[in-house]
Amino acid sequence: MAQSMMATDASFTSSEERSIQLRNVTKQFGEVTALNDINIDFAPQKINVLLGLSGSGKSTLLRHINGLHKPTSGEVVTLGTEVHRAGARKLRMLRREVGMIFQHFHLVESMSVLENVCTGKLGSLGGPRLGLFMYPKEVKEQAMEQLARVGLADKAFNRADALSGGQMQRVAIARALIQEPKVLLADEPVAALDPVSSATVMNLIGKIAKEDNLTVVCSLHQVELALEFSDRIIGLRGGELVMDRDASTLSLKEAHEIYSAVAVVTDEEIEQQVPELAGITTEQQS
Amino acid sequence: MATLTPEAPEAPRSTSGRHPVPPRPAPHPHVVATWAIFIGLLAMCVWSAYDLGINPVTIFERLANGVDFLSRLVPPEFPEPGRLIELTLTTLAIVFLATLFSVVTSVPIAIFAAVNTTTGMVSRQTARIIMIFCRAAPDLVFAIILIRVFGPANGALIGIIAMGLSSIGMVGKLLADNIEDVNRGPSEAIQAAGGARWQWIHSTVIPQILPQIIAHGLHRMDINLRNSVLLGFVGVPGIGAALSTAMNTRQWQLVMGLAIIITVLCIFMELLSGAIRTQLMGRDGSGRRRGILGVIDRIAHNNWVTAPTETHQVQRTRNGAVRTSPQWDAGRIQRFFGWLVLIGLVVAAVWDIQINWQVLTNTVTNFPEVVSRFFPPDGRGLYWDRFFPALVETVQIGFASLLLGLFIALPIGAMAARNVAPTPGIAKFFRIVIVVCRAFPELVLAIILVVILGFNATAGVLALAFGSIGLLSKLVADSLEESDTRVQDAVRASGANRLQTFFAATVRQTAPATIAHILYQLDVNIRAATLLGVLGLGIGFDLLEASTRNRYDILSLIILNILAVVVVLELISMYVRKVVR
Repeated sequence: MAQSMMATDASFTSSEERSIQLRNVTKQFGEVTALNDINIDFAPQKINVLLGLSGSGKSTLLRHINGLHKPTSGEVVTLGTEVHRAGARKLRMLRREVGMIFQHFHLVESMSVLENVCTGKLGSLGGPRLGLFMYPKEVKEQAMEQLARVGLADKAFNRADALSGGQMQRVAIARALIQEPKVLLADEPVAALDPVSSATVMNLIGKIAKEDNLTVVCSLHQVELALEFSDRIIGLRGGELVMDRDASTLSLKEAHEIYSAVAVVTDEEIEQQVPELAGITTEQQS
Repeated sequence: MATLTPEAPEAPRSTSGRHPVPPRPAPHPHVVATWAIFIGLLAMCVWSAYDLGINPVTIFERLANGVDFLSRLVPPEFPEPGRLIELTLTTLAIVFLATLFSVVTSVPIAIFAAVNTTTGMVSRQTARIIMIFCRAAPDLVFAIILIRVFGPANGALIGIIAMGLSSIGMVGKLLADNIEDVNRGPSEAIQAAGGARWQWIHSTVIPQILPQIIAHGLHRMDINLRNSVLLGFVGVPGIGAALSTAMNTRQWQLVMGLAIIITVLCIFMELLSGAIRTQLMGRDGSGRRRGILGVIDRIAHNNWVTAPTETHQVQRTRNGAVRTSPQWDAGRIQRFFGWLVLIGLVVAAVWDIQINWQVLTNTVTNFPEVVSRFFPPDGRGLYWDRFFPALVETVQIGFASLLLGLFIALPIGAMAARNVAPTPGIAKFFRIVIVVCRAFPELVLAIILVVILGFNATAGVLALAFGSIGLLSKLVADSLEESDTRVQDAVRASGANRLQTFFAATVRQTAPATIAHILYQLDVNIRAATLLGVLGLGIGFDLLEASTRNRYDILSLIILNILAVVVVLELISMYVRKVVR
């Protein structure tokens, strides 16, 4: 009941409030340019997929949205907050409304599943918590509800390292959901999972995004998964934006274009990573 | 490919074409410097042994001559049971509280010192300096200073603070290393959820290092128990104080009795901490827990608590509320009783030592005045004639005992490693030898040797050399066992025999670790050599003298000298560890 009310509430909020904009964002780590003059408006309440090889700048871009990275130059505006000039306090305020999940789940493995979910609420609780008993009862109840939502209520009091990879990622999703976020960032959420768990996790993200009207920004490197689950595909290559299109109306030919745009490795890229191997791909092709 | 003939010149491999064999580079200055340090240290060892007149022949002669004196020690005499229990409880209470104090203080210091949790350069360096200082000063030095500040009425408190402070150096360093090694992912996740620094440190870093906190605490409790005996000589109550009195009054049979009790206590503590570690971390291959917890686990499996099965519905308690704390399964019972026991022990220990608060508050107000008496340091004209030679003798004892210890410890260590020893039986035998050596507190051994050999440097050197067998050979054996056995297999597969494999594959792999351990042992030995002062040797004797005669200026001069030696050693070993990898 409470959830359906929330959903209607959310649909009334203007899409403006759920928007994420990047303007001329450039990010350099020392000599390396991770992002080069990126301009994107992410579609509110849709699943936006960032597609690209490793090293293409997907993770860096994601971390700009909630200010884990700050741009070297350019502007990032998330949910009306100017991330590029926000101070620590303002960033924490923003991050309460932005959930994030990671490739390697990032759970504290020696802690119980329920406590791991509770830690998602730390941003709005204030003060350190040294154990499950230090969280307010409402938070623990919310955590239990979110675990039921991702189908792991039975595991609430198990240690996190007793779970499988797919289950851990679902716990991480529950931890993000307890924040009641408006935006969900997912950094390669299924890269460490087998195909079956991958499908479960991606379906769960899709279902939750729809139920809670979330704006999802998800980085992936598998084109098939992107085509299946996304509303919009944004291709990155070497820190540059190479493609941006609506995924709902994609023809097979266009899908192949996506492959060649982001997924086929060139000799130059191999040369950059492993100089000795360059030339092998061309030899094999000839 | 089929047309390839034997005469066909070998095609140049692309790698060799691109990268011609480079000439052997000149050795790096750091490597040269490190070799120079090694040779210098070795020369120090040999010179020390020569100058102190240590050589195997005389040692055996004097040991043989001195054995008669052993009859003075038997039969051992024990204090009456009531007094004995009182002494033991006091010692244990002091050791427990000191360890707890050091662990509780070390955690925040380690958090500031670790690169991933610190707040900035200034706080990081401050924390590191505090740790280095605490490590450098032996607890005896802390105790001597504190006893001047708090007065002798608060012996127990002095023991707690002295051992606590000197433990911070080691425990804090180890914990800082552990913190730097934790998985940083969870911390990033909490940051991304809007958590502040202290929140993510508490929720993700502390839970990850909790097992190490407990392990280091238990380990440190072993060490503190041994050290507490020594502190008895400067007025910290407990078995050490009784031993000190017995020594001063030449009641050798009582000394022997107390020495036996201390040894038994040390062995008991070693077994206890081993058992606790197994309880907390030990699961055997089948994933079942051993010991009492295993029993609880197995009972719990028999429908004591019913495991929930509903995946999509929240767990509820019997009266319908959402379940927010775990059921009373084995894990929760363990945690509950663990905390209960810990709190109970703290209360009992605090009650047992009976802090004299009146004296404490009085002395705290006098604190600045007492501290000012320590400055300026002044040798009263005795420095070059008396204190400096004593300092040199102390350092010599440290070096000579290392040399002697090395000859015995390295072979024992190698033989105790499963992957080096010819048969598993031999490895097991030498492991037991090490455990037995470790069990004997150095001080007890030193006392017996002093009885046999009289108050001279040989007794000290022998005692410390024996001590290094326990520590050094254990460390060496452990690092040999941790070496990558695949390399050894590869060398053995190419036809090398056991000895060749050992030197070609194993020694080089473990060389950095072994060198670090040897330097650490040198550090330990020189520190311990200063503590032998309680038996009338070297600079430590002057330290105690100055303390009992209230010569604050001499006291601070000697302390500064000891600190200087320890810090120089620390710097050398830090440098060598950085170069040798």
